[in-house]
Amino acid sequence: MKKLISLIRACMTSDMNLFKIRTKKDKKSNGSSLAIVLAFFFMFAIWSNANILFEKMAPMHLQPVVLALFVFGTSVMVLIEGIYKTGPLIFNCKDDQLLLSLPIKRRTVLFVRIFKFYVFELLFNALFIIPIVIAYNRWGENVGWTFYLTSLVMLFILPIIPIILSCIIGALTSSLSSRFKFKNAAQIITSMIMLLGVLYLSMNLDRIFDYVARHASSINDLITKIYYPAGLYSTLATNFNATSLIIFVLVNIVIYIISIYILSLFYFKINSRLKNVSTSTHVSIDKLKIKSNTKNRSLIKKELNTFFKTPVFIINAGFGMVLFLVMAIALCLKADDFLVALRIVFDKEVILKNLSMIVFMLIAFTAFMTSITNSVISLEGKNINILKSLPVKTKTILMSKIYSSLLLTTPVILLGDIILFVKFNINIVEALLLVVLSILLPLASHFIGIIVNLIYPKLDAENSAEVVKQSTSSFLSVMIGMMLLIGTFAINMGMIGKIDPKILLLMVTGVFIVIDTILYIILVSYGVKKFNKLSV
Amino acid sequence: MIEIKNVTKKYGNKKAVDNVSFTVNDGDIFAFIGHNGAGKTTLIKSIVGIHDFDEGDILIDGMSIKEKPVECKKLMAFVPDNPETYEHMKAIDYINFICDMYDVDTETREKNIKKYAKLFDMEDKLNDTIDSYSHGMKQKAVLISALAHDPKILIMDEPFVGLDPKAVFDIKEVLNEMVKENKIVFYSTHILDVAEKLCSRVAIIKKGELVKSGSMKEIKGDKSLENVFMELEG
Repeated sequence: MKKLISLIRACMTSDMNLFKIRTKKDKKSNGSSLAIVLAFFFMFAIWSNANILFEKMAPMHLQPVVLALFVFGTSVMVLIEGIYKTGPLIFNCKDDQLLLSLPIKRRTVLFVRIFKFYVFELLFNALFIIPIVIAYNRWGENVGWTFYLTSLVMLFILPIIPIILSCIIGALTSSLSSRFKFKNAAQIITSMIMLLGVLYLSMNLDRIFDYVARHASSINDLITKIYYPAGLYSTLATNFNATSLIIFVLVNIVIYIISIYILSLFYFKINSRLKNVSTSTHVSIDKLKIKSNTKNRSLIKKELNTFFKTPVFIINAGFGMVLFLVMAIALCLKADDFLVALRIVFDKEVILKNLSMIVFMLIAFTAFMTSITNSVISLEGKNINILKSLPVKTKTILMSKIYSSLLLTTPVILLGDIILFVKFNINIVEALLLVVLSILLPLASHFIGIIVNLIYPKLDAENSAEVVKQSTSSFLSVMIGMMLLIGTFAINMGMIGKIDPKILLLMVTGVFIVIDTILYIILVSYGVKKFNKLSV
Repeated sequence: MIEIKNVTKKYGNKKAVDNVSFTVNDGDIFAFIGHNGAGKTTLIKSIVGIHDFDEGDILIDGMSIKEKPVECKKLMAFVPDNPETYEHMKAIDYINFICDMYDVDTETREKNIKKYAKLFDMEDKLNDTIDSYSHGMKQKAVLISALAHDPKILIMDEPFVGLDPKAVFDIKEVLNEMVKENKIVFYSTHILDVAEKLCSRVAIIKKGELVKSGSMKEIKGDKSLENVFMELEG
């Protein structure tokens, strides 16, 4: 037990700076403080939305259903997050050699890995559950200590099933990919398929709900049938039953233990297969391509190489772009349904005149939700020393990261643009402006990402998921992206119908030229200074 | 020529390098010696432009690394203690990348890559990704990339760690060849007997301060370099 506690302590310290004794405030703690402020901001947004839902449900006395819905939604998100993270957090960890050489059971190593994963997801879960509990305190009927006890237990127990499912999916994708020579490509493809599958299920929940509704007598039954813990939470909130709660906790703990036992049977085999680096057949130096390139071209090539060789990076960034294409195609196929849905907000005439604005909104969504550059500095790790010792201007290095990110996003967005231009018959002027915006918007997103990453770099990360999914930089840039997106949406929604779409698009183009210019100036002045001060 | 002038580098309040001054002349093989944590790597990283320093200046052929970093770096090649490379790259792509950064033309790089790949027995291994290499092979790949652009100054941090005896011998040959061409080799090491035989000049650093610097003959006198070092440490 002492060994297990020491092991957990060591792993958590290296990953999360938990249990670390600090004697003075440092830069990292400033980053953590900002992350805490943003977490509170996020929880406030969840609390506000929950209040709106509770208000609508209260007259029908259906407040517990909101609890169930949020728990269900949170669990889906924990599952999606988990699929991203299993690869680098459970498999292919940097400390494998160290841990596996220690005199501890291999199952203990897996337990610690999954426990670490559980703690991450517990924190993620808390961001949603705590605001819901606070909102329910206001709207719920006969809220007593049993509700708080149930909520506290749920807070700790709810992440278990999603993370076990994530581990199973992660084990499947890793197992499949470990059989192929090109493991990274196989892992990316299988993870993408899994993610799109989960997304498809989430988007078609209404149909699934309809199906289950036919077999359920009430909404509570319906949710319980889909996801038992969510239904149980809403039931226990109104009719507390200690036995049900204890059984639920025990079942989850048993599931956790059995899953670790079963996974441990395959885990080490998959892990060692993943670590087998394929070496190409020895090729004579005379047959190798030795050719000079310009500095810019070579730096961009290096960046693209890093992108395509880091599965979690490509899944994270690629998912937004794939989603854009999926949305563009879905809009083509179901354009009429979509336009009918829009009539709730706008008149038919206004919609038909402003089809280009719909395309613009999609571009904005993809650009601000696809932040590639928020981890490009952190991913350098110790290699930052190579870049810093090269006879190249820092500005050139930083801009190469922007160019390579643009090279990744622009073609996909332009492809989506073309599909939508044809479908919605967008006129040439608006199409041209949208093409320009398809470059300007991702450019702003890339500038923001790299600037934030320069302010909050994480050069000592244990794995790529830590910087791509869990760093202050990635969290902050996603939040900034969301705020920009909400701002862009709000302003455009207010303008649509009042200003000619050509003028509106022209204005937006002008605004983003100014924003990009300001961000460029920040990058080449402040950003260059920050880069030069980085050290490992 | 490398001129280290009153360089001080602090980490917080702690001085990792404290007012260090010495000069490395063209044609020198210069050994930089000190115990673990003495400040060797910090000073080396300052010379090659990885670290900023708080006081003093470092001049490379008369140019300040602070004021003209790109021009200074063009003259140097750096081999770190732990071969830090882009593991997912093929060695040949990594070497080409470094050559691109130094504007090496195709003909020169082809000649040098072939020469050093042959010397380090890596001729048929450069098409493999670096993550499939052993520590020593990674070190060799970094050395090839450093030598491929014909640097005037070669700066190495513990270059012999992890290398097989033949590779150590070959590196020594390369260093001697560079010195004949009036180039500079500056390296930190813990292998004192190699330094004693190979180097013309030496500097010893202790707790960030330079305790001795000069020609190998002056520093060691009739004693061995190991004895001198142990006396200073004691």
